[in-house]
Amino acid sequence: MSISVNALVKTYGSTPIVRDISFTVAKGEMVALLGPSGCGKTTTLRCIAGLETADGGSIAIDGETVSDAARGLHVPVHERAVGMVFQSYAVWPHLSVAGNVGFPLSIRRAPAKEMAERVDWALDIVGMRALKERQPSQLSGGQQQRVALARAIVGKPRVLLFDEPLSNLDAKLRDTTRAEIRRLQRELDVAALFVTHDQTEALSISDRVVVMDQGRIRQQGTPKQLYRFPANRFVADFIGAASFFDVTPAGEAGRWRLPDGTVIRVDGAPPTGGGKLQGMLRPEVIQLLPAHAGATDRATANTLTGRIVERHYLGALTEYVVEAGGTRFKVHSANDIDTEAVQLNFSSRDCQLVLADV
Amino acid sequence: MRVLYGLTFAVVTALVLMPIGALVIGSLRTSAPGVPGDWTLANFAGLASAGVLGVMAQTLIIGVGTALISVIIGTAIALVVHRTDFRFPNLATALIGLSFYLPSFILAMAWIIIGSPGGLINYAWGNLLGLPGKLDIYTMWGIVFVMVLHNVPFVYLTMRGPIIGMDSLYEEAARTSGATPVQVLARITLPLLGYSIASSAILTFITSIEQFAIPALIGSPGRINVLATQLYLLCRFSPTDYGLAAAIGLVLSAITGLAIWAQRRVVSNARLATVGGKAGRLAPIPLGRWRWPAYILTFGFVTLALILPTLILIYTSVIKFFTANPLMAAYTWRNYVFIWESAATHSSFWNTVVTSSIGAALGSALGFLVAYFSLRQRFQGARALEFLANLPFGMPGVVIGLGLLWAYAYLPLPVYGTLAIIVIAYITRYLPYATETIGGQLVQIDKSLEEAAWVAGATRTGALRLILLPIAMPSVQSSFFLLFMAFFREISSAILLFTASTMVISISIWSFFDQANWGLASAMSIIAILIIFAVMSFILWLLPAARRR
Repeated sequence: MSISVNALVKTYGSTPIVRDISFTVAKGEMVALLGPSGCGKTTTLRCIAGLETADGGSIAIDGETVSDAARGLHVPVHERAVGMVFQSYAVWPHLSVAGNVGFPLSIRRAPAKEMAERVDWALDIVGMRALKERQPSQLSGGQQQRVALARAIVGKPRVLLFDEPLSNLDAKLRDTTRAEIRRLQRELDVAALFVTHDQTEALSISDRVVVMDQGRIRQQGTPKQLYRFPANRFVADFIGAASFFDVTPAGEAGRWRLPDGTVIRVDGAPPTGGGKLQGMLRPEVIQLLPAHAGATDRATANTLTGRIVERHYLGALTEYVVEAGGTRFKVHSANDIDTEAVQLNFSSRDCQLVLADV
Repeated sequence: MRVLYGLTFAVVTALVLMPIGALVIGSLRTSAPGVPGDWTLANFAGLASAGVLGVMAQTLIIGVGTALISVIIGTAIALVVHRTDFRFPNLATALIGLSFYLPSFILAMAWIIIGSPGGLINYAWGNLLGLPGKLDIYTMWGIVFVMVLHNVPFVYLTMRGPIIGMDSLYEEAARTSGATPVQVLARITLPLLGYSIASSAILTFITSIEQFAIPALIGSPGRINVLATQLYLLCRFSPTDYGLAAAIGLVLSAITGLAIWAQRRVVSNARLATVGGKAGRLAPIPLGRWRWPAYILTFGFVTLALILPTLILIYTSVIKFFTANPLMAAYTWRNYVFIWESAATHSSFWNTVVTSSIGAALGSALGFLVAYFSLRQRFQGARALEFLANLPFGMPGVVIGLGLLWAYAYLPLPVYGTLAIIVIAYITRYLPYATETIGGQLVQIDKSLEEAAWVAGATRTGALRLILLPIAMPSVQSSFFLLFMAFFREISSAILLFTASTMVISISIWSFFDQANWGLASAMSIIAILIIFAVMSFILWLLPAARRR
């Protein structure tokens, strides 16, 4: 019950969509494929489902190779035993709820009794059993989504594939459905791949996140790793808000120079691989105080003095833009600060060095 | 603005209600229009006679049979061409498109030359191969056969849109649910296309029972009549019975009206969200060993409906006397020379160009106004205007012709015997098509575009002319070409209205064929086909948008 994608390549005409990507999804694991639109994440998912034929690399489901471009192997979709939930649900309008959910079983000529039991089981799981005889046109968007979900799990698929299943739901429903999908996937203990362009969704639903851009994987890891220790500016910027600033080595290990010459301490080692380095700070890790407040623990913290140039009141917090160290920092603070002169405190653990994107 | 509305309303009312009124009055009179007579209900009693009931049954059998067979073949071809790895989809679409524009009377003539007892097939069968038995096209099934050839392109063209535009998600979801391509076709694709198929079948049924030229040409030798030809016979040949003809016209209109109502119901029930943005991404079904049956189905149809008839007409047009054996024929250009030199055929071509272009321009202008007033400016009575403009949908061409013939016989207007009456008949018959074509685009134009013009100081009429008309221009152009092509091929509404000086091409061909002058009829048909195809390619070249229709 696992997925393994190895050196996958897919091109449309002469346009490469997916360029040599590899990742695995273990049994019982939920992995999110995250990236901006056009990054190749949906195409990757469709290659795994078998809806697209890969141009290079191989895909294995449950240890069985289902696609291998080098050998010309392409197991047709219907023999791959996957469950898939589509962005616009794809609930067949000419079949009832039970007809939709029972379809995968009736295709396999399951006995009537078993079929009825399985349909009830799947509908129970998504809480839709009472609406079994309804037609799709009588269902709300959220209910159609549940039908699609029940249809995806009813055949006991080896893996579950989700193609942005929440993007057509309203905000509140999205949160509850997301939690439900997660619970369901844990219960069934199958490998699941979840395609989304929404970083909050990706972080909250998955065990691991694979970030893609322009057909390549930019970084993969647990949500915490990606948020705290992004490898490059693209990932840092795509997941959450951040301030970036140019740094140069200050000659001593763990010390870096800001544009105006101020030296700050950074714990983490710079990422390997060539390229220009930048410092990255999340807006919520910076402590913002009026300039006259006392300094904090000097051993781990950096302190910069600066002045507020912009204030954006967001309700629960205020976003300040502070000019300091010859650059600008975004800072989130729950405090109202009226003075213009301020000091910024941040821990050397929270500042991260990333590769600047060219 | 109100003046324009009043004018539009008056013109539409006159166009539509005059022939209907004339028919209703005619059906209640004992004598021919314009001749003194009494009011009577005897004509409607005459409908119940065994003869008329038989004709009615015949009409329905032909209509239902044609619709069923055409829908099966047309849908099959559309699925093969657009859902499988069929090798020549563009060629197939182009050829079927051409056969759609082959006029019905030309197709019928060609098949009479091929399939009549003295025709080509029987010659080859009996004289060359010495086999017993004879094929006879002059039967009810002969009529159905030619009607199927004529209607399959229509089914193909109406099914093509839904098949191409269908959101492939539904099929992909079935594929990931474990269904094979064939199972997807049977259990998802065809059921989802159900409403489109039903709608196409009803529309084919309507065009079949309205069809005049095919049953008139093929049915008359075997005395096989349908309502449309019966009506024509009752008006043109003694013993004439105008009252009964009018009653038959009303019955025919009632049947088509009912069928159109049913079709509208089907379409409004068909609000299944099957058309989506991600169309056509689904991998085509591999044909495998079905490749050759698929070729035979598609190109076999094109051969029977387009290539063979055209070749036969070319052959007939260049021989002196008809013989089924090309080796024994005496070849000549005299038919083309005659057409080149005859003043009568010149005037026939000229009349056709004039009626088609002026009619299409006036019809599209009227269609635009009707669409505007019934969709954008809901003045009082807008619903009535919409209803009136849609009535001709239910009126077969011969019925409109008959209604107009009488309407102008009652009225002291110098219209009868002029091209004007033919133009009026054409516009009346095709007004709903113009309104629908233009209205389809008008409803998509945001109301605020017009409002912004008013705010900027434009009058209602100014905004109509300066904003709405330019934006809606592509649909007005489509409407013009749609009407032009339809008028160029039209025969049924002109057949009762023409005089010696107002012949159009279709009528000239018809008359030549009627006088058993197959050579001239064929030569003129070939010229007409060439003109039609030339205009078609000109339109496609001029209007890239038309290609997507």
